[in-house]
Amino acid sequence: MKKTLYNYYIIDRLNRGMRVKVEKDLGAEYSAQGLSGEERMTRRFEYLASLEVPHIHKDEKIVLMRTVANLPDVYTEAEWTEIRKSHYIHELGYVSNLSPNYATTISKGLLAVRETANEYQVRMIDAIISLCDRYRAEAEKMGREDIVEVLTQVPRYPARNFREALQFFRILHYSLWLEGDYHNTVGRFDQYMYPYFKKDIEDGIYTRETALELVEDFFLSFNKDSDLYVGVQQGDNGQSMVLGGVDAEGNDCFNLLSELCLEASRNLKLIDPKINLRVSSKTPLSIYEKGTELTKVGLGFPQYSNDDVVIKGLERLGYSHEDASNYVVAACWEFIIPGVGNDIANIGAVNFPALVDKVIRENINGDFDTLIGKVKTEIKNECDKIRESINNVWFVPSPIMDLFRADKRYNNFGIHGSGIACAADALAAVQKYVYKEKKVTPERLINALDSDFADDAELLHLLRFEAPKMGTGSKEADDLGGMILSSFADALEGHTNCMGGKWRAGTGTAMYYLWHARELGATADGRRAGEPFGTNFSPSLFAQIPGPITDIESFTANDLTRNMNGGPLTLEFAAGIFNSPESIQKVAMLIQYFIKRGGHQLQLNAVNLEAMKEAQANPEAYRQLVVRIWGWSAYFVELDKDFQDHVMARQEYNI
Amino acid sequence: MKLFAKAKSLQTSSLFTITYNFEFMNGLIFDIKEFAVHDGEGIRTTVFLKGCPLRCVWCHNPEGLSPKKELYLKQNGCLGCGRCSIPCDHEECREIGRCLHVCPKNLISVAGARWEAKALADKLLTHKSFFDTMGGGITLSGGEPLLQADFCVELLTLLKGQVHTAIETSGYAKSEDFKKVISLCDFVYMDIKLADSELHKKYTGVDNKIILQNAEYLKQSGIPHTFRTPLIPHITDTEENLWEIKGIVGGSSWEMLPYNPLAGAKYASVGRKYFLS
Ligand code: SF4
Ligand code: SF4
Repeated sequence: MKKTLYNYYIIDRLNRGMRVKVEKDLGAEYSAQGLSGEERMTRRFEYLASLEVPHIHKDEKIVLMRTVANLPDVYTEAEWTEIRKSHYIHELGYVSNLSPNYATTISKGLLAVRETANEYQVRMIDAIISLCDRYRAEAEKMGREDIVEVLTQVPRYPARNFREALQFFRILHYSLWLEGDYHNTVGRFDQYMYPYFKKDIEDGIYTRETALELVEDFFLSFNKDSDLYVGVQQGDNGQSMVLGGVDAEGNDCFNLLSELCLEASRNLKLIDPKINLRVSSKTPLSIYEKGTELTKVGLGFPQYSNDDVVIKGLERLGYSHEDASNYVVAACWEFIIPGVGNDIANIGAVNFPALVDKVIRENINGDFDTLIGKVKTEIKNECDKIRESINNVWFVPSPIMDLFRADKRYNNFGIHGSGIACAADALAAVQKYVYKEKKVTPERLINALDSDFADDAELLHLLRFEAPKMGTGSKEADDLGGMILSSFADALEGHTNCMGGKWRAGTGTAMYYLWHARELGATADGRRAGEPFGTNFSPSLFAQIPGPITDIESFTANDLTRNMNGGPLTLEFAAGIFNSPESIQKVAMLIQYFIKRGGHQLQLNAVNLEAMKEAQANPEAYRQLVVRIWGWSAYFVELDKDFQDHVMARQEYNI
Repeated sequence: MKLFAKAKSLQTSSLFTITYNFEFMNGLIFDIKEFAVHDGEGIRTTVFLKGCPLRCVWCHNPEGLSPKKELYLKQNGCLGCGRCSIPCDHEECREIGRCLHVCPKNLISVAGARWEAKALADKLLTHKSFFDTMGGGITLSGGEPLLQADFCVELLTLLKGQVHTAIETSGYAKSEDFKKVISLCDFVYMDIKLADSELHKKYTGVDNKIILQNAEYLKQSGIPHTFRTPLIPHITDTEENLWEIKGIVGGSSWEMLPYNPLAGAKYASVGRKYFLS
């Protein structure tokens, strides 16, 4: 990629200076006129699209960037209060975490899609086309005949080649964000784009190098406006791309385009798109090696998911074989189905350490089996409570998103499972020291928990550093982890949600590894009050882990096909380990082992602790330092300090 | 035996006799490291045996030198709370002089744990399914593993046929010990650090004659092996030294290990001073 182009958007961020803020209170205006939701969304879209001013960088091939900085809400505060009275509103109320079917529209063109669209969609399509026409005019003015040619064809007509397909994608993806949908994922890009790519390569239009350059230009487009895309932190924006994986017949679909995507991400070192790699027991080591080459650069990509386990697990939840085989991930790691999925994969979360803590405190004087029975009951009660609290889910209408979702076949709700390892560890410690060895009396334990271990340094040490924990090779802790996983799945199984779908149990934490932990006092695993849990399905921060093999064996000890909402084991490696081709190969073997053991999802980080320390002290010098958070990656210096500190405290493997 | 008499005159010599004092077949281990990627074919689990008769000035495992348990104090993040210095009544803390069970940062540990060969073999073989699936195996390292030759023999006998085994040795051992241990290994890494005997004495504390004899044996043994030379700036990486080692190595495989500038990091933890700092 040309340095000028990269610098413009990434280093100097000059495009951001062109933005204008919309001051109008659209909600109030629409409310006064008594407009329907569809009408409001359509009007806003038409209005914002009309405000957009075309800007084309002289070196870019894939165009469209935002110049409108904000999307004023289409409802007023008072209206929201009213809506909330009778509905469950998920997060911001706008649709999110979906995987649209871009491919069909790219192959048909918007004019053909317009034929069968509803009135709102027709107006929005017209607004998109008119915006693209202004871009074409701008390109003409600049003498960029190539862009003029592309925009003459798309988005009106079907893409005829790879470049048009990429530009078309950019237009559609951009439109979703402008509609107000968020966490708009990319899906199986290397599959639906492959026919265009393959044809152009075969026709000799691109060499490997020029194709790579175009993919890089395209990848850059995900980063032009991403600071406008809201999430818990900057970077949490759901632009997830899924590469590789099998088709419904079980054939491995990793192709040259998949390979170029890994390479483009490695070259650009940008936090978007977020790269996921689907693998299975059939995947050859060479693909893991390519993935590891990407891990090496420190973005926290790719995240791996195991087709053998995930497809089976999704089928168990009622997804058809064909749809399950086509799975992708939502913003972070939640498994969803492109085009036909309407799942809400992150509608709630269970705080396992809190439940277990409550049970321990109430039942420590009884026997251990009773205590475990109570844990199961408590998990069930908590899941019931969550289920019952979610009724009448309502979303702001999303006419554009609906263009890309032919039928909403799946309406399942996913629940995160936060702190599974911490909870299992607390039970394992109690089992060993209070019940088996009787080394710690119930009173001593409860006193220490109540006082946050203030007067019992020895008990803190015992529970925190010496006790059995998940990830350390303790069968007891792993079994208790398994008990939690299956109780969680049992508690949700067989229930129907308010949209007629099922409930899915997961192993992810999202931001709850901080949020849930903040509210929770000291726990029997030696965690002190307020200290965070591990992210997702990972060991606690102070588990004394002998190494990554033990860690992997622990987190693959249990059947995960019933906990199919997603949430990876994370392994952190000191960046230096990736320095030789030999060690790249060995890390690749480790991943392969995880997959062969039946792990569902794995994410690896190359950690540079020194750089993080310096970045905290001197943020300006480290603006491009990227770290992995829980299902996305971010620029370290743009994170709140508690997120920074957590990344720095995670277990790390050295050589 | 003459050689051993000679070794006795050195500061480190007394270590050499330790091997023969182990009445029970247990070994002193200072670390077991999973996922070692530089210690042989495939992914290795490396067992570090404690105690070494050499004192290479560049040694990066200072906690592996003494053949006794010793206090290991991590240097990072001490709160200065003093808890560890308050006398306690734990048996295991007595020989260490600090309490092992109170540090809120877990900075205090013992370098050196006694393992019976059988228990250690069982532990190592918990990853047998990994080695069977992915290749790799177990590497004995140190310190100098041959200082606990009988223990190595017993451990390797238990591992034989189950998993690929390798050893990393300085080669400084009685030739009968050397022979019996390496005959049980699937692969041998042996250091040739310095060819010149005077320089060898100067920088490692011992003469290299026995090492060179064992190297000759290894070359003829038919056991797959590689010689290694750590490249220490101005000490071992001189043209002269490498040229001479090349001659010693002959047709065997030989690799040079780049010097790790972080080598001195652990010295303060065991209360030693790093010569090359
Ligand atoms: S107990 Fe730990 S933190 Fe406190 S003085 Fe001792 S080493 Fe330092
Ligand atoms: S032989 Fe190895 S362990 Fe012994 S002193 Fe030399 S470098 Fe250290």
